[in-house]
Amino acid sequence: MAQTTPSPAPTLTVAPPAAVALSGVGKTFELSRGRAVSALEDLDLHVAEGEFVAIVGPSGCGKSTVLRMVAGLERPSTGTVVVEGRSPRELARSHRLGVAFQEHALLPWSSIRGNVALPFHLAGRPVDAARVDELVRLVGLEGFESARPRQLSGGMRQRAAIARALVLRPDVLLLDEPFGALDAVTRRRMNRELARIWSEERITTVLVTHDVEEALFLADRVVVMTGRPGRVRHVHRVDFPRPREAAITRSPEFHEAVDLLTGLLDAEGTA
Amino acid sequence: MRRALGALAHYWPIAAVFVGWDLWVVLNGYTTVVAPRPGLVLADIAAEPGAYAGDLLRTLLTSLVGLVLGMGVGILAAIAVWSSAAVSGVVTPAALVLRSVPVTAMIPVIARVAGYGDSSILLIIVVVSFFPAFVLTVSGLAATPAAGRDLFGVLGAGRLRTLVRLQLPHAVPHVMVAFRLTAPSAVLAALLAEYLVGTGGLGHLFSTARSYMELERAWGTALLATVVSVLVFVLARGAERRVGARFS
Ligand SMILES: Nc1ncnc2c1ncn2[C@@H]1O[C@H](COP(=O)(O)OP(=O)(O)OP(=O)(O)O)[C@@H](O)[C@H]1O
Ligand SMILES: [Mg+2]
Repeated sequence: MAQTTPSPAPTLTVAPPAAVALSGVGKTFELSRGRAVSALEDLDLHVAEGEFVAIVGPSGCGKSTVLRMVAGLERPSTGTVVVEGRSPRELARSHRLGVAFQEHALLPWSSIRGNVALPFHLAGRPVDAARVDELVRLVGLEGFESARPRQLSGGMRQRAAIARALVLRPDVLLLDEPFGALDAVTRRRMNRELARIWSEERITTVLVTHDVEEALFLADRVVVMTGRPGRVRHVHRVDFPRPREAAITRSPEFHEAVDLLTGLLDAEGTA
Repeated sequence: MRRALGALAHYWPIAAVFVGWDLWVVLNGYTTVVAPRPGLVLADIAAEPGAYAGDLLRTLLTSLVGLVLGMGVGILAAIAVWSSAAVSGVVTPAALVLRSVPVTAMIPVIARVAGYGDSSILLIIVVVSFFPAFVLTVSGLAATPAAGRDLFGVLGAGRLRTLVRLQLPHAVPHVMVAFRLTAPSAVLAALLAEYLVGTGGLGHLFSTARSYMELERAWGTALLATVVSVLVFVLARGAERRVGARFS
């Protein structure tokens, strides 16, 4: 007999379900001799499906720790981290996570093409050579496909790491100062490229940066963190329409937002 | 001319050895029974290269096979140790015990067990080649940078894929250090084992030539053995540098 009870009416949710949800997260690192450092305290951060969130904050406030927890590389001491309704490790195991961390971790014995194709191998999938070439081109490394990481500059290695992070079209993308080693011009170019890729693929993204302009240019929301122990100090919604052009960075609204966030950061840095 | 000078700058120690050897024999007034002059030894090699070639080849081949086997077993043991704490508890102490026994002491025992012949010589070389490969592979596997392990974790790589695509390539330069250390000692072990318990090879040739008082032959064998050892060392060092650079 078929089920007769009607399925419950869908509950109306105010906000769309969060793709990344950190709730009441604290992190304490044990140092030697029983000393401990509290890196994060009672941090709440919810990133919606397809949303781009940038995190800025003073050095050592726990930004990288947040990303490492979302990536499942670090467990929270208190609170919960949920990604796509699952534990972060489960998402990683199903090869749905893309990361480019401060340390690029390219394989020195492999070519740039081999490094960008690595996620295919680790997922046990056939390499989509066209996709690999597309991303190599996208990050401006064409002509260096066969070069070794050792033969590239720091910034080029970072770009290769970004290509590697994107190659599998991940559900969640985590970027930790991916453009840290780039000069201002290349950095702006990479920002425009990332904005373009992102408008096409709408991957849920968390970006850590210390560059307020970069955060405002790329993100839907900018989260300002307090000094250690880190927590959310301020959330700034960015309303510039997409696709964003470089022109918005010259608008008065943009400069206003830059001043606001820089002021907040300065206050944290000296606090 | 400049080339010749360059070669002289590089290889003068070799010439010096021969000149020194000749002077030593002549000035002391030694007869051939005590020590033959280098010219006579070289003449013997030149006159009858066939008398040396077979044994030389045999020594090289045994050394190579033993080296490859021993290092292979060492690498496999290292992987086993890395993958299981239980295996590690058994293998590591056994390897250390094996290491602390000198080769010379091992040779008669192994020959007793494995018989006088090629198999025990091979076994001796395997034992000599095992330990450095084992230890250095273990340290290479353990020394994988944290950033690499994090990356593989985030990309959902399992243990086997992490081993094959991250840890083993990372261990290659370490294994090559083991190769550089082991290759000359493998040849040395082969010569020694052939001398003591062998039925062929340069070591055996030396021992028979000496007992038949063919002094030129005996010294020729020693000379060849020295040349082979030096060449093996130089080649192994070159291989270590090239492969090491390829993987780091
Ligand atoms: N594995 C660890 N063991 C001990 N302490 C740690 C560890 N990882 C991070 N910390 C500490 O946690 C704090 C936050 O570190 P984190 O790397 O998250 O800072 P950050 O905000 O990314 O800094 P930056 O902008 O300089 O990269 C730091 O004080 C650091 O010393
Ligand atoms: Mg950081």
